[in-house]
Amino acid sequence: MEKKIQELYQNLVKISAGYLIYQKRNNIELMRKMMPQIQEFVLWFLEGNIFGIEETLYQNMSQDILGILEDIVAAMEQGDRVLMQDAMAYGLLEYLELFIESEQEDGKNDNI
Amino acid sequence: MTIYEKNLNVLARAYPQMDRLIEEARKTAKPDLEIQEERAWDGEVILKVKKDGRTCYLNGKRNTKEAARIWAGGLEDLPNNAPIFLMGVGNPFYLQEVTERNQNRLTILVYEPSLQIFLKFLEHVPLKEWMEKHVIVFWVHGLEGMDDKAMDLMIKHIIQYEKISYSGKMILPNYEVLFPEEAVNFMRIIRDHAKQEMIQYSTKKLFASVIVKNLFSNARYLCDGYKTTQLVDVIPRDIPGIVIAAGPSLNKNIQELKKAKGRAFIVAVDTAIKPLLDAGILPDMFAIVDGKKQFSLVEREEAKEIPLVTSLNAASDVLDYHTGMKFFYNEGFTFADTILMKHEKAWGGVSTGGSVATSAFSLLHKIGLKRIILVGQDLAYTGHKSHADGTFEKVMKEETDRKYIMVEGNEEKEVPTTLVLQSYLEWYNQHIKRIREVDQEFRVINATEGGAKIDNTEIMTLQEAIERECTKEVNIQECLGKLPPMLDEKEREWAKGYLREIPKRFQELGEDAGTAENLYQKLDRISRKKHLDQEQYLAVLKKIKKITKKMEANVMYQMIDITMVEAQYIMRDEQFTYEDTLEAEGRAMARKGMLYTRLVKDMSGMFEEYTKFYQ
Repeated sequence: MEKKIQELYQNLVKISAGYLIYQKRNNIELMRKMMPQIQEFVLWFLEGNIFGIEETLYQNMSQDILGILEDIVAAMEQGDRVLMQDAMAYGLLEYLELFIESEQEDGKNDNI
Repeated sequence: MTIYEKNLNVLARAYPQMDRLIEEARKTAKPDLEIQEERAWDGEVILKVKKDGRTCYLNGKRNTKEAARIWAGGLEDLPNNAPIFLMGVGNPFYLQEVTERNQNRLTILVYEPSLQIFLKFLEHVPLKEWMEKHVIVFWVHGLEGMDDKAMDLMIKHIIQYEKISYSGKMILPNYEVLFPEEAVNFMRIIRDHAKQEMIQYSTKKLFASVIVKNLFSNARYLCDGYKTTQLVDVIPRDIPGIVIAAGPSLNKNIQELKKAKGRAFIVAVDTAIKPLLDAGILPDMFAIVDGKKQFSLVEREEAKEIPLVTSLNAASDVLDYHTGMKFFYNEGFTFADTILMKHEKAWGGVSTGGSVATSAFSLLHKIGLKRIILVGQDLAYTGHKSHADGTFEKVMKEETDRKYIMVEGNEEKEVPTTLVLQSYLEWYNQHIKRIREVDQEFRVINATEGGAKIDNTEIMTLQEAIERECTKEVNIQECLGKLPPMLDEKEREWAKGYLREIPKRFQELGEDAGTAENLYQKLDRISRKKHLDQEQYLAVLKKIKKITKKMEANVMYQMIDITMVEAQYIMRDEQFTYEDTLEAEGRAMARKGMLYTRLVKDMSGMFEEYTKFYQ
């Protein structure tokens, strides 16, 4: 799973950079292609608290991640590029970062 | 006082009456979208807009500022007057970031296609500080007078070639989703004007040295020439004028023109000469303005004696070939003005409009004709052809692979045209409108029988136009024969002497440029010293100012100025940049000064050579 998360993370960083730096307005289309991997990650996260974190925190995080997924789906339905960027870059990516090794994470800013 | 009320005051101070326009629109406009206000996680108000069954956020709820921050990060420390084009105020942080990151005064055009969003913006975002710091123009659809046409003009004024590299543009995210047509239109206007600026720059660059070469070669014809204002004295005003352009539709009705001969003042453009002569029609006059006009287009024995209306910088080989009467008009060349003004004579001007046909049109209007018939003035690629058959080629090729703009046609619903032709079309539209505003009697008949539709013209066939308008007989050749050259014997001798002095003027200019270059070198040395000697620095600057003044007063300086388009743009470009210290400023000034004076010196030498034949 770790490899899949890393791959997903890198792809989303690229989409976010395209939106923020190059003003590309195709994030909906690109995210649609990433949906299977996103769903796989969300389901894996929701499977149970295997991360050794406090249960209340885990429940809150699960609620939050479902909210993010909801926003991503709504953004796709409405063609809302702002909501998509917001849910992806300031929602989903932050969760993915939790599972990226610190080295990888350090490199993130350079990419952006 | 609410933020909204304060904003209205701020806007009214910058743009009188804008508060009234906003208030009026607020009371009368019907809402065409639903706007919901939400609080983002950082407490900022963000907008969610429902339009045509689609709901979109204009800003993120998790992060409201990063997108704007990153975009504006690329637009920091812009020079004075740098133009910024922004579509949308639904996310105010874009405007905030760009205004706060720049200390120099920017020119920001903010286009908001929704009055409702603009009103929300005014409720929440205080504008005072931003508007004190920068020139911010809010262009809001739904406010009186703020239509596309006016916006087009506004953008045209803002975009200048030397500022293009400092410009920024942004369609705020989701505006392209909610207002797709408006977004495309906004970008198109900006792109078209930027393109036009680039074209103009390239054209100037391309023509610069040709212009000067032509000018000096043609100037000798001034001595025996005529001026267009003399036509007023001999051409009857109760006959129509006919402008024959060389558009593809000319082939349709060229034979009809025979019936107009002797019943109108017929002025053809240079490119139409060959097909006209082939059809056995001798126009009363032909016009040339192009400095690079292909000589072969007029190379016909019969064309030699047809009176010619010409710009001073038109292709000199055409003027050399031509032996008939040459009519000149004012184009603002100082050395030519001197010849006339010495004898207290005045030029007549012709509004150019950019093309030879528009110049011919303007001439006919200026000499007082009240009816003008346009022929072959397609302003379009009718049948995908650029010109009439018999002009550049016997049969012109169809150009189907060009990128065309479609405009309303005279006969067809739409016809293909290009950006350049469209600009001539716009000139006609505006020019005729302006004339008719002050002169209701003035009429323009478009007898092209094809091509693009020109506003305020009567569309009819050439046959109809001639039958209706060309009812009085006139002998134009006889009329023109009455005219004396614009200079008498004595004045001509003086003019010849003046022209003989031109190489000497260039020599003087070259010497002065050399002196100025030395002074700039000195300024550079002073600015590089560890401790700047301010007294010495100012003394050199004073000397530079003096010699520059002397150079600019030289009557030939204008010729140099015209030619050095590249250098002018460098100078104009650099006037937007500022250095931090006096030393750095001095070095920068010296660098561009040395570049400029060296060019002046080189050009003076070159032009001295061009004009030696006068001696």
